[in-house]
Amino acid sequence: MGDPTAQLARLPRATPEEIQQLRAAYGLDKPLLGQFADYVGDTVRLDLGISQRTRRPVWDEIGDALPWTLLLVGTGTLLATVVGTWLGIVAATRRGSRTDDSLLGFSLFTYSAPEYWIGLILILLFAVAIPVFPAGLQMTPGEQFESFWAQAVDVAQHLVLPSIALMLVLLGQYFVIMRSSMVDVLTEDFITVKRATGLPWAKVVRRHAVRNALLPLVTLSAIYFGFVMGGVITIETIFSWPGLGLLEFDAITSKDFPMLQGAFLVFSVSVIVLNLIADCLYFVLDPRVQSA
Amino acid sequence: MRRFLIALVGALLLFAAPAYAQEKKVLKIGWAQDPQTLSVFVDYDEESYRIWAISYDLLVNFSPDNLGPAPGIAESWDVSPDKKTVTFHLIKGAKWSDGEPITSKDVKFSLEVLGGNGALFTGYTDNVTSIQTPDAETVIVKTKKPDARIVGGLFIFMLPEHIWGKQSVKALTTTYKPQIPMVGSGPFVVTEFKRNRIVRMERNPNFRGSKPKFDEIQFIKYGSEDAVERALNLGEIDVITEVQEATFDRLSKSKGIKTVKAPSPSFTELAFNLCSKEHCPDAKFNPAVQDRTVRQAIGFAVDRERINEIAARNTSFPGHGILPEYYKDFYAPPEGDLDYPYDPDRAREMLEAAGWKEGEGGVREKAGQRLSFDLFVRSESQFNISAARLVKEMAAEIGVEFKVQVVSVDRLTEITTQKVDGKMAPDFDTFIWGWGGDPYDPSTLLGLITTKQIGGSSDSFYSNPEYDRLYEQEAGEFDLDRRKEIVKELVAISQRDLPYLVLTVDPTLQAYTTDKLGGVELACPKPDGDLICDQVSYQPWLTLGPPEPDEAGALASSEDDGGSNGMLFVVIALVAVVLVVLAVLFFRRRRGDQEAIEI
Repeated sequence: MGDPTAQLARLPRATPEEIQQLRAAYGLDKPLLGQFADYVGDTVRLDLGISQRTRRPVWDEIGDALPWTLLLVGTGTLLATVVGTWLGIVAATRRGSRTDDSLLGFSLFTYSAPEYWIGLILILLFAVAIPVFPAGLQMTPGEQFESFWAQAVDVAQHLVLPSIALMLVLLGQYFVIMRSSMVDVLTEDFITVKRATGLPWAKVVRRHAVRNALLPLVTLSAIYFGFVMGGVITIETIFSWPGLGLLEFDAITSKDFPMLQGAFLVFSVSVIVLNLIADCLYFVLDPRVQSA
Repeated sequence: MRRFLIALVGALLLFAAPAYAQEKKVLKIGWAQDPQTLSVFVDYDEESYRIWAISYDLLVNFSPDNLGPAPGIAESWDVSPDKKTVTFHLIKGAKWSDGEPITSKDVKFSLEVLGGNGALFTGYTDNVTSIQTPDAETVIVKTKKPDARIVGGLFIFMLPEHIWGKQSVKALTTTYKPQIPMVGSGPFVVTEFKRNRIVRMERNPNFRGSKPKFDEIQFIKYGSEDAVERALNLGEIDVITEVQEATFDRLSKSKGIKTVKAPSPSFTELAFNLCSKEHCPDAKFNPAVQDRTVRQAIGFAVDRERINEIAARNTSFPGHGILPEYYKDFYAPPEGDLDYPYDPDRAREMLEAAGWKEGEGGVREKAGQRLSFDLFVRSESQFNISAARLVKEMAAEIGVEFKVQVVSVDRLTEITTQKVDGKMAPDFDTFIWGWGGDPYDPSTLLGLITTKQIGGSSDSFYSNPEYDRLYEQEAGEFDLDRRKEIVKELVAISQRDLPYLVLTVDPTLQAYTTDKLGGVELACPKPDGDLICDQVSYQPWLTLGPPEPDEAGALASSEDDGGSNGMLFVVIALVAVVLVVLAVLFFRRRRGDQEAIEI
């Protein structure tokens, strides 16, 4: 930890008095408990303070960054859910086959690989070796777009690599959960009954097995959406994506504590709220929970 | 599932291959940090300085040749015989970018309000007693004693009074943020500032000098230094103004990229705690550090070339005293032994002769004192840490022990600035850290070791009346030759007493792509300064432009080929992937049906 005014101290003309003034302005001269009381009081009043780096209200900074994070996390989570679920179904219906083994291996590999490594490999492959996608930022810098559509296409191009990176990172969990859930369902008696009635296998899987197996996935999606909100620091930093993660990273490097506290507050609140939503969804989706 | 896959591939192809069409002549500069607010009163980051130096003039600008005084808002100036009054004659007919005339009112406002309250601009006008404006084109500055900084050393930007003057000082130093487009007098002014994204500077229509060749300069924010360097390699940006030491060498070898290594006015020093009982009655340190012979021996034992080669990966310059070579008008290399050429035998002899004999563990001792010192270094700088390890290694060769302690920058600030009962009480033997000076005037750096700065900037707590006297003389001398003589004496004294052993002069490391940037003439100071006179002068922007067609033509066309070839590869690769996936799915599906019966 550090005192943010220390950065000023080496400036040849910052006198000790000036540094003292700055410390007082940020309340850093108060005892720790006093600082904490200030913080709690302000937070209760939803006042997150002013960013020390940009001198803008922390809320404004968060407001600017949040849509970008939502776009990236939304796309990444959606892709991971769809692809992970689909692969999970494929693997479960072919349990023990080579497809199953290789899919399991692949998803565990991407799950355990560090995010920044996946990001860098994607950049190396698709931005450097075969330059089809931009390596970073959220839109071509300095471009004046003719229409909203042109801008949307540009943003989408920039979104491809980071959202695929995020998808690969998240994919493993969705895959493993969907696979085991499907395996459970597929071994139940009602599946055998459905098959015995002569229903085609594809229909049995799609209509009866998948629907039942999807339940645990709903909670997982919601919970992870919450976690990922504050947790895509590495991917956002590597791809220079101006969301909450990059905001946090910059706040850490410049010791901008109000900004950091604000970002973490948003992060924790989103985890809690999304957990709650997940629980409620479960209640709606699964009649068994209601009766219990 | 198949449909989904095909749709996904189709979507990817649709978005692929972005087109970067441009008609305006734009130069893109990448950075990993962007300015805080761009307000001259509150920001203290280099990025803001970079923008200000392009937007604003000084009263007297820095010449790109040698950084000496050159016409700025003032066209000429006269110094009175007693050297206490300087009369500036302002340039005639000059206008701000919004069309308003630039007058003496603006100068007075800037010197008084910015010079009195700006976070980075106070201190320059300490000696000023009055600023008079007899007419719109004349400014008379009076000082209580001769102060050579008044001409060529007032690093205070000239602001339009009709914009900034409308605000109260309190607002300026707290919440005020400059309106966009910003009003300036330089060749470019800020027309867009989106934090975390872009600072766009467009040509100032009312600029009084020659028309810049670029229409626009963009500063683009990336997530990290690595991302900036990647963007340069990919051609997304054209210039980096701060390259990392670790990657400088690799960038130098990249095709189509040129790198620039220029000396800067900052150095990295090994500082010794010389605080006397009088100034620091409660300071804690090993008194042996105050033995001048010991410091001199360390000076001979430390190979500064090696520190540059290993710790700085050869990106720095070995140091030669407290004034970096960057100060062309004042610098003269310390002569002979005062430069401390690497000579460990000499160092051992000196210690031996002074009675420091080898004792336990090879550490020299005398009368119960051991040559064993704490060496503090800040954790933020890998370079400083490596330098500290090398110093430790080299000093061990002559029987001096350094105990390297890596601490946070706050801790280091604390142990060098702490007080007991209102008196300084520094708690260290030695440390490694750095300082940066003004672009032209050597007084800031030379002043760091004056007695007056104890309790202020001084962190060696060196005190020498002779040095102080010469320093006052130097600061008040307008005659360049006489001033240079005094500076030489000051450097000689500081090298003899060695409060600082300056290890390296820090570099400015830059890189640019040769197919986007031409008209390069390294300046500030010429001939081996930096690309854009970063943070000092806007002059290079008047000659920098896109390269002449014959320079860049070949490069550009070959690049296009690469692009379309790449696209072809991707199409082929994606088609192949799709075919393989479809084939696998097809066969697996059939097998899957059979396996499923076993459930």
